[in-house]
Amino acid sequence: MSSVRPDLIEKVTGRAEYITDLTVPDMLHGFVVRSPAVHARIASIDTSAARSMDGVVDVLIGEDVASFGCWGVVLKDRPIIAIDRVRYVGEPVAIVIAETIEIAENAAERVDVGYEELPRAATIQKAMADGAPLIHEHHENLQDFYFKGGAKPTQGSNIFHTYRNNVGDVDAAEAAAAYVHEDHFTFPAISHFAMEPHAVIADFKGDSLTVWAGAQTPTAVQKVLSRLFGLQLAKVRVIVPFVGGGFGGKASVKIEPLVAGASWKVQRPVRVAQSISDSMLTCRRLGAEVTIRTAVDAKGRILAKSAKLLLDGGAYSDTGSAVATKSANRIIGPYAVPNLRLEASAIYTNTVPGAAFRSIGGPQAVWAKESHMDNVAAAIGMDPAEFRLKNLAARGERTRPDLRALDMDMSELMGRVTQSFASESQASNRRSRGMAVAATDPANTPIANAIVRLKIDGSILVSVSSIEVGQGAHATMARIAAQTLKQPFSAVSTLRTDTAVAPYDWGTGASRSTVVVGLSVENAALDAADQILDMVVDVWELPKESLSLVEGGVSTGSEVLTFHQIFHRTLGVDSGEVVGRGAITPRSKKGALAESPLFWETSAGLAEIVVDEDTGEIHVPRYASAADVGRVIDRVAAEGQDEGAAAMGFGHALYEQLEFEDGQPVNATPIDYTIPRISDVPPVFDTILVENGDGPGPGGAKGMGEGAILPVAPAIANALFSAYGIRITDLPMTPEKVWRALQKRK
Amino acid sequence: MLPTPFEFERASTIADAVSAVGQEGDGMFYSGGTELLLAMKMRVIHTERLVDIKGIPGLDRIVLNDANELEIGSRCTHMKIAGDSVIREHVPALASLCANVANVRVRSVGTIGGNLCFGEPHADPPTLLGALDARLVLQGPNGTRSVHADDFIRSELETVREPDELMIVIIFPRPTGPITYRRFKHGERPSVNVGMVWSMEAGAHSIKSARVRVGALGSRPQPLKAVEGVLKGLPVHDAHRAIQSVLAQALDELDVNEDRHGSADYKRHLAGVLLLRNAEEAVAMRGRAT
Ligand SMILES: Cc1cc2nc3c(=O)[nH]c(=O)nc-3n(C[C@H](O)[C@H](O)[C@H](O)COP(=O)(O)OP(=O)(O)OC[C@H]3O[C@@H](n4cnc5c(N)ncnc54)[C@H](O)[C@@H]3O)c2cc1C
Repeated sequence: MSSVRPDLIEKVTGRAEYITDLTVPDMLHGFVVRSPAVHARIASIDTSAARSMDGVVDVLIGEDVASFGCWGVVLKDRPIIAIDRVRYVGEPVAIVIAETIEIAENAAERVDVGYEELPRAATIQKAMADGAPLIHEHHENLQDFYFKGGAKPTQGSNIFHTYRNNVGDVDAAEAAAAYVHEDHFTFPAISHFAMEPHAVIADFKGDSLTVWAGAQTPTAVQKVLSRLFGLQLAKVRVIVPFVGGGFGGKASVKIEPLVAGASWKVQRPVRVAQSISDSMLTCRRLGAEVTIRTAVDAKGRILAKSAKLLLDGGAYSDTGSAVATKSANRIIGPYAVPNLRLEASAIYTNTVPGAAFRSIGGPQAVWAKESHMDNVAAAIGMDPAEFRLKNLAARGERTRPDLRALDMDMSELMGRVTQSFASESQASNRRSRGMAVAATDPANTPIANAIVRLKIDGSILVSVSSIEVGQGAHATMARIAAQTLKQPFSAVSTLRTDTAVAPYDWGTGASRSTVVVGLSVENAALDAADQILDMVVDVWELPKESLSLVEGGVSTGSEVLTFHQIFHRTLGVDSGEVVGRGAITPRSKKGALAESPLFWETSAGLAEIVVDEDTGEIHVPRYASAADVGRVIDRVAAEGQDEGAAAMGFGHALYEQLEFEDGQPVNATPIDYTIPRISDVPPVFDTILVENGDGPGPGGAKGMGEGAILPVAPAIANALFSAYGIRITDLPMTPEKVWRALQKRK
Repeated sequence: MLPTPFEFERASTIADAVSAVGQEGDGMFYSGGTELLLAMKMRVIHTERLVDIKGIPGLDRIVLNDANELEIGSRCTHMKIAGDSVIREHVPALASLCANVANVRVRSVGTIGGNLCFGEPHADPPTLLGALDARLVLQGPNGTRSVHADDFIRSELETVREPDELMIVIIFPRPTGPITYRRFKHGERPSVNVGMVWSMEAGAHSIKSARVRVGALGSRPQPLKAVEGVLKGLPVHDAHRAIQSVLAQALDELDVNEDRHGSADYKRHLAGVLLLRNAEEAVAMRGRAT
């Protein structure tokens, strides 16, 4: 039992607390009134009927908080609540604040808002067209605010960011090539669909603000609220209890300013607990249009690759600019390509704002790139696996000059997934197989702090800003502290996240916590160890080299001094602790962490499919996923992350699409939006975690948890292509789409 | 989201339930609540009074009656029907239909009566019950009446039931031949489904009569008259070919909505696929039986 994650025990016994389990004294409830209009001027808001209802305390509308201005994490484009205009269906226009949630919701029906429709641009094409209505008139960039760098908007257009990266001379390479092939792919908007929708409690008290939020990046929330409301950072406290799923949908900042605005208005704690449908109107993955072109020589070596990606960023930019940049990096893949022309833009549309989502920009890029790889292989008459192997970048080779050299062997991962299928000979005629690979550059920002406190009884407290969102980060931090201090795992507790206690960290996302925060925990544990050893050196007058930590104390070589003895004799009283501090910065480890990416997040996927040719339905009886993770710290958690990511990939591949009809959401409810169930996951599923101990994290760990989502859709599409010669270019691969493609072929 | 405020009553007899719903203001019967509560929370249904019928004894019986008919109480959950020995013996296709409706939470409290009375076009039971020639018994303030399953659903989410009529029981003749049912779904509810029931004399090799219903394409299940016609009196082993010969024409006559479940031509095609698979199964079943 001692090694079971403590958070899991709390969860299965029902003791784990999420936001909606908390009550704050004097707390009120807010219900958000949302825009039914796609793009409109707010002509009038009449809140009098709602206000007059018993139990309604107040109603927040835009003009109340207009003077605070806008916020953002890359572009400052977002008001606390719509002021004079709404830009998407679902945009908050009022919050009814009442004694109970029932009263608030009933009163919300009485808030009367008048809208005057404006011309809309609800798709990438419409937003890019000549004379398209501008969704934001001007763009204000916040440099280095959240990510290093910022956005490059095109003034007077809906393009809020463009990233370009050119290497070599693509035109010359194409002119010299034996073969050039171009494809076009699209990728839909996808809902994060976390089991726990967004929920926030905000408590404004004069010049201080406490927020309970399921936030993945609590320090970003703290910073945005501090700037927005003009509060000192130290007066803004963000507390994050257990979070019921984030997947990026709770990263950066979401409804915290809105709820804080409501609390500011009434100067009492206010809770807003959204429904899943509300959360489906809060953020989603960016859809994409991708054009990709590859030039190869007569032997099948890739000479040049160019890609143009247009990402549908929705009505507010959030981190869409970073998603676009990453999509351009992630479309390179683990291949050595001497000439590259990459361009990605993020575009405002009148739809739900786009946001980070498990491997930002990755699925969009890898869907296109890996489908395209099989098309190119077919066009030149080469086996797709052979074509990949021929073009892989080797360990130590760079895929682009400004990116860290590859720290893994993709051919090893390809070999491992193929071996996994080896027990069953070749696929039969009806069964076919497809493969896809990915190498992505997580934005794992090497900035983190940790505190490790060793107490007189040998118990240990770890304090970090990483959140526990089910991935097991808190237990992993405890394990790292335990291993570094040579103490049992059961002696270590990780504190729930609270910015008033935990030191600064960038946030939980981009597969960074185990490596970056883990290293800071390791440093903090070493610092604590150092302090305890120094006490022994000082008081017992022993050379430090002769001392070592052992379970429960320090060995001097001849005897074991318990922590108790050490503290007691050193301090003179029977109590005390040492406080170890660990920091990671881009300058740590002689700058070795500064180069991007800190490690490569890699994966290979092999899918076996069976198609019902009469209905077009795809079944996936078997799937193998491989990732190079450096070192596994917690096997159950690591496999769970890999499998969970792949299962999400099945959703992307076969089921999911957040649909809009001219800007109106069509299926933004859990009833109409389909995600895969456990019965839809392949019955034979092999998870392979390659461990070479060569990562930058504790014990050689690399980050993981996002990579396995990437190969699924293209692997399935490639299997379909290999069996039937049909190429699906837009997701999801619904039965009807597949059936139509089969019909066309006949 | 939460429903608008309502009163709640528990009825212990059919008469109490009927009169409670019939009182001043809008009342509604509350059975498993799997459709009703969702709709109330989404605020697409408003009701002033919910009358809980879970406490009325006798509404969840399943029996083979003296007239050689099967009776299924309206309060039977999908789970109960799926596991019931009488149903599994005489109408195994209905047991497996119910075993695959929705998800385990819906099956364990959602009822067959609630399914029918909600009138959702993307539903399974109405199709097979139509093919089984079921009649639905309703009890209102002025006594009981029975309605053929085919006539019960009027249009999308609308049935011929009066608000204060309680569905009591579903009755259909004990089937004498193969019963087959197939659905196609990609997501929560069926996009298309087909039920086919053959009546046959004991030991006979030909089909006395056939009933075929296609569901989820329009607002209610539709008969495939041409297929029924061609199967009448036909030897079992000719059934598959006979269906194929009239299939295109029969499918053409279907009313097919274009909706989130697919476009019309695709769903029409699926109906044919399911029907032919049903036919293969029925032929095989009869082959086994004789
Ligand atoms: C997620 C989900 C998936 C589903 N998938 C499927 C599917 O795949 N196939 C399928 O066929 N169905 C499906 N359903 C529908 C499901 O079968 C029904 O929800 C269930 O059977 C309804 O029964 P209930 O007892 O919960 O009805 P309730 O929700 O209690 O009632 C529904 C309606 O019927 C009325 N009513 C109920 N009982 C009676 C009665 N005895 N007499 C008169 N009126 C009555 C109520 O007043 C109400 O209007 C799904 C439902 C959900 C929520």
